[in-house]
Amino acid sequence: MNMPFFRTLAVCAGLSLTTACVTSTVDEMTFNEPTEGIGDSSVVILGRRHSSDYETEPDFVACVGDHITSHDESIRIIDELEFLNALYPWFEPRTAPLYPKNIEQLLQQKPVAEKMLALKLEYLIWLDGSTVRTEGAGSMACSLNGCFGFGTWGHDANYEAAIWDFTDQAEVGQVNTSASGQSYMPAVIIPIPIIAPVQGAACDGIGDQLLEFLSSEY
Amino acid sequence: MTSVNYHHWRILLTALLLCILAGCGPNKVIVQGNFPPPLIEPLPLTLGVWFGDDFRQHEFFDGTKSRNESSWVVNTGAAQVQMWNNLLAGMFEQIVVLDSPPKAGRSSPIVDAVLIPHVEELQYAIPAHTQIKVYEIWMRYRFELVTIGGQPIAEWAMSSYGKTPTAFLQSDQEAVNLAAVMALRDAGANFVGRFSQIPTVRGLLLDSGALTDAIDP
Repeated sequence: MNMPFFRTLAVCAGLSLTTACVTSTVDEMTFNEPTEGIGDSSVVILGRRHSSDYETEPDFVACVGDHITSHDESIRIIDELEFLNALYPWFEPRTAPLYPKNIEQLLQQKPVAEKMLALKLEYLIWLDGSTVRTEGAGSMACSLNGCFGFGTWGHDANYEAAIWDFTDQAEVGQVNTSASGQSYMPAVIIPIPIIAPVQGAACDGIGDQLLEFLSSEY
Repeated sequence: MTSVNYHHWRILLTALLLCILAGCGPNKVIVQGNFPPPLIEPLPLTLGVWFGDDFRQHEFFDGTKSRNESSWVVNTGAAQVQMWNNLLAGMFEQIVVLDSPPKAGRSSPIVDAVLIPHVEELQYAIPAHTQIKVYEIWMRYRFELVTIGGQPIAEWAMSSYGKTPTAFLQSDQEAVNLAAVMALRDAGANFVGRFSQIPTVRGLLLDSGALTDAIDP
């Protein structure tokens, strides 16, 4: 009577405890860090979306923002979509400034300059990159009696963050992160996914470095 | 008791049959999105705008099949009208949405010009077509700028592009909707940047004294 219960419990425990390994590297180069923190100024993190074959995932951008604010609540991060809507159409993929020197041209638009002042924007961080699925192998067959087999696949994440100082209209830092990992799914009646949190590791890596730059507490 | 059970089974079977039949029809997406007003100094012009029926009811489906055979029908008409209304209302001092097209002899309402947008072409690509995990939509517009009496002032073409990556827990419909919203937002961005660069439009803006205030990116 208790056997099915314990079997289910064991499967659930296994699912919650098993995650595959991820290797990640982070390179960082920053200048003019705000040693006292950013005060009541704000930061916006935007994804680059002008490449034809990939685009920086909005949930990755949100993850990096959440990582920073969860460690230092004093840092005000403007939501990406809220910023894009408020500044429409100046930060769309077609019109977004590609270099810090383009900020001056943008601020010649009086309503844009006023909006930036109201937002107290100090740093604009561009995230560029994506997570892609790499090789996969194995096979699995499922029937009414359950699934049997084994599958494996990999993920590679590569992201670059460029930090622009909005006041000085200059790039003040770059952070690169790359992560890769292999996920597995063995199946004996029930498939058990053992997922490598590749994008999460990249998010933590880039988030930690940005936190170190922006926060006075780290 | 038996008759009650039979009745329940009949309802269940009918519901199941309806679900199966619904699954055979095309996936219909009515594009819905958020189209903010542009953050620019409005041009000191009163612009009339006429959305024709083709534009208001614009939709697209698999071009190699008929509408009913297509696995996709995406309706962009309502979203087009919403986006262009928001964009033009923020871009010009005043806009007047006309209830009939400009024609010879017509003199009211008093407007500086009338804009008539057309969607000339639309293409889409989904991951099943391209093997790239991105949904894409291209649109080609044609704009007519005429007087209220129907006299042509300018005519130009413009393209727009929107894409969105595949995402976990995002259905094909949601992804196509998002790609269409991105394409519409891109159309607005392109229009804002190009409008005052069209030579005849530039002349109109110079004549009205609006060019110094005009957006000139």
